[in-house]
Amino acid sequence: MNKQHQLAEINNSGKAYIIYKSKKGFNLYTDFSKKIILNNKNIKDFLKKKFKNKTKKTDLFIGFFGYELLNNLINVKIPKQKNINFPKGIFYKPEKIINLSNNFKFKSIKDVSNSNFKININKNSYTKIFDKFKKKIKSGETYQIKICTKYKTKSKINPLDFFARLSKTNLAPEAFMIKDKNYSIISCSPENLITKKGSQISTKPIAGTVKKTKSLNKIKALNYFKKNIKETKEHNMIVDMERNDLSRVCKVGTVKLSKQKIVEEYKDLFHYVSLIKGKLKKDIKNIDIIKAMMPGGSVIGCPKISTLNLLNKQEQENRNIYTGSFGYIKFNGDMRFNIIIRSILNFKNFSEISVASGVVVDSNSSHEFNENFIKAKALIDLFK
Amino acid sequence: MIYIIDHNDSFTYNVVHQFSLYDDVECDNYNKINENKLKKASVIIFSPGPGNPKNYPSSSKIYKKFKGKKKIIGICLGFQQILFCEGAKIVEQRKIYHGFQSDIKVINNKSLFKKGKKFKVGRYHSLKLKEPFKMRNFEITMRCLESKAAMAFENNKDKIYGFQFHPESFLTINGNLLIKKILSA
Repeated sequence: MNKQHQLAEINNSGKAYIIYKSKKGFNLYTDFSKKIILNNKNIKDFLKKKFKNKTKKTDLFIGFFGYELLNNLINVKIPKQKNINFPKGIFYKPEKIINLSNNFKFKSIKDVSNSNFKININKNSYTKIFDKFKKKIKSGETYQIKICTKYKTKSKINPLDFFARLSKTNLAPEAFMIKDKNYSIISCSPENLITKKGSQISTKPIAGTVKKTKSLNKIKALNYFKKNIKETKEHNMIVDMERNDLSRVCKVGTVKLSKQKIVEEYKDLFHYVSLIKGKLKKDIKNIDIIKAMMPGGSVIGCPKISTLNLLNKQEQENRNIYTGSFGYIKFNGDMRFNIIIRSILNFKNFSEISVASGVVVDSNSSHEFNENFIKAKALIDLFK
Repeated sequence: MIYIIDHNDSFTYNVVHQFSLYDDVECDNYNKINENKLKKASVIIFSPGPGNPKNYPSSSKIYKKFKGKKKIIGICLGFQQILFCEGAKIVEQRKIYHGFQSDIKVINNKSLFKKGKKFKVGRYHSLKLKEPFKMRNFEITMRCLESKAAMAFENNKDKIYGFQFHPESFLTINGNLLIKKILSA
């Protein structure tokens, strides 16, 4: 049976499965023998678990940590918010992995989906929040903060159809989808937060994105970023913050900027990225790494704790998966996690898309509001 | 041993790694200070952090208790914290420098560094020292070439030093040399 058939069969069987971008294509994980729904009580045990068998490809847990869970893990409290009671985190133990190529096809009868999205913060309230945060920057409480807006619509979608179409236009290096009985997630996340192999660890923050055009090549994109003072300052801040977060768990003198402010080219856009590497201290456990690195700083702002507190005080709606992390923990201790952005969460017949963009001292509220919309639009267009 | 007091910043562990090149370092949050470590330390460092020195009365207390008895170094907020304890006013500035690389210059011949020497440094500060500021034994030793804002002070009598910029930032060129010199002073 060829792989396209296998994929179609798994999808039609109603079984839960996950697809995650690999180097060469995608990996499909299914036949889950365990499903662990995480909460504040069981997460520490889950992360401290040790395993005997570690050699099989399927010896891993794959899934996600939501934003609230990651805040609570580092003792940042979130006030009472509007909540759809979506699980705070879920991990699965797969028994089967199938490799798929980059252009996997999926033919489906197109769903009747609704693209009537409503935004949770209108431009007026956005500007008010923006001005308030700008004052906080002037008084030094935060140096950079990302305001999150959420778009929601009632809809019932076919996640594989969405994911196949999304991957065709945007083959993101940290893309994934999860399809389970009562929910699905489709994501074209570009950002790797943790790659851990043995004692080596790296993180690859993105700060700065520009859309590809006919006249904009890679060299011109680099010039654009270099000349753009706002993007440069935001990026610098994120680099120092990620160096800091790695330094919490790495040996002295091993944290190095291995790629500094380079441009990476994707199908539709250019990203301004840096790569930071380090060597883990001897007694460091995965839970220490997760607490040091998550939630990923580049999508929150800086400094992390005071900025999280400012955001949490402001936001009235639970972020759910947004700015959480998806990835896997192998039984031998290796890990790979992304930052959950550019994602659609489908739950209880609603689809939600969250986006954020940064307030720094010289940013402008209507520019950032529109930037948020542009980020959301790429996903909203899938509903048409 | 060097004791770093962390004001909940996202740059503190860069400071920890930098100072660890020269001595044993301990680091605790400002609201979880360990009195034994504080006593044992030969150097106390006030880390960068969000907000204003007046938000951290416990750090001010530590400064006043150990001034003249131990070497004390302040970075960014820590720089402001020390000056605030010495009676300075810390104020908002019109142009804000976050993630900015600036050229600064040694402007004082009482400095450990050679007068006229220039450095490229990384800056993350909303607030600054209100000038004129005069206090016995405290010398402003470095200034931003562009804005003239105070970027470093030295009190070589009591061995108290402060940097408004971030010697540990990747934006600071030769930051380790600065630290080495202050530590061996």
